Amino acid sequence: MRRDVFQAIADPRRRAILALLATRKLTLNRVADKFEISRPAISRHMKILAECGLVSYEKQGRLRYCNANLRRLNEVSRWVDQYRAFWQGKLDALEEYLKSTGAPQKKPSTNRRRLK
Amino acid sequence: MTNEPLVVERLLNAPIDRVWSAITDKNQMKKWYFDIAEFKPEVGFEFRFTAGSERKKYLHLCKITEVVAGRKLTYSWRYDGYPGMSHVTFELTPEGSQTRVRLTHTGIESFPRDDRDFARESFTAGWTHIVGTALKGHVEGAAV
Repeated sequence: MRRDVFQAIADPRRRAILALLATRKLTLNRVADKFEISRPAISRHMKILAECGLVSYEKQGRLRYCNANLRRLNEVSRWVDQYRAFWQGKLDALEEYLKSTGAPQKKPSTNRRRLK
Repeated sequence: MTNEPLVVERLLNAPIDRVWSAITDKNQMKKWYFDIAEFKPEVGFEFRFTAGSERKKYLHLCKITEVVAGRKLTYSWRYDGYPGMSHVTFELTPEGSQTRVRLTHTGIESFPRDDRDFARESFTAGWTHIVGTALKGHVEGAAV
């Protein structure tokens, strides 16, 4: 089955789990305590997060802790950057368009004031 | 954290009514945005346009969801034949004789990311061409 970071964060509960684990590691029970959904449902979300590489487990004594690997989210910001570049380009084009169609500068005094 | 929308802002050297017509008049949109057959800034109005690279085009499907005349425009933005749904908002604020435009794009994480063809053609190949052309002569781009 396909698994990637985007699938991991597509679900609001999984985002909430990541937010919870972002600042500290917790046992699965403690994670489950924070949500009102069933324990099996939490396990399912955790399984997907683990398969997507966003959560890993760590054994300490008898307890197993869940860790968030937030580094993987860089992939998301690279994706967002492509859109950012796109919109930057579009706003550049809008700016150019407005400049090319703008009324000729009739009020040099106000311009001068702005330039100081 | 991961769910923050993409926001791009720009201060434009034009009064707000001119910017509003530039983003809502299809004849003007054609000059800087996309060639859209029909456009009306009315909630529920649907429009579509094709964009992408020379090799592969994508049909963009949009529906207007919010209009505050002269100030704010929101529409859905998705791709025909692909899962995912996003929303694009233009917000205009006058600043003296200039206008601040704030563009917000939410939901882009819902688009297929592991479809190589989609990702590469719709953005890298297609859009950087547009961006590259539009960016010509500009150096301020990355600062926002």
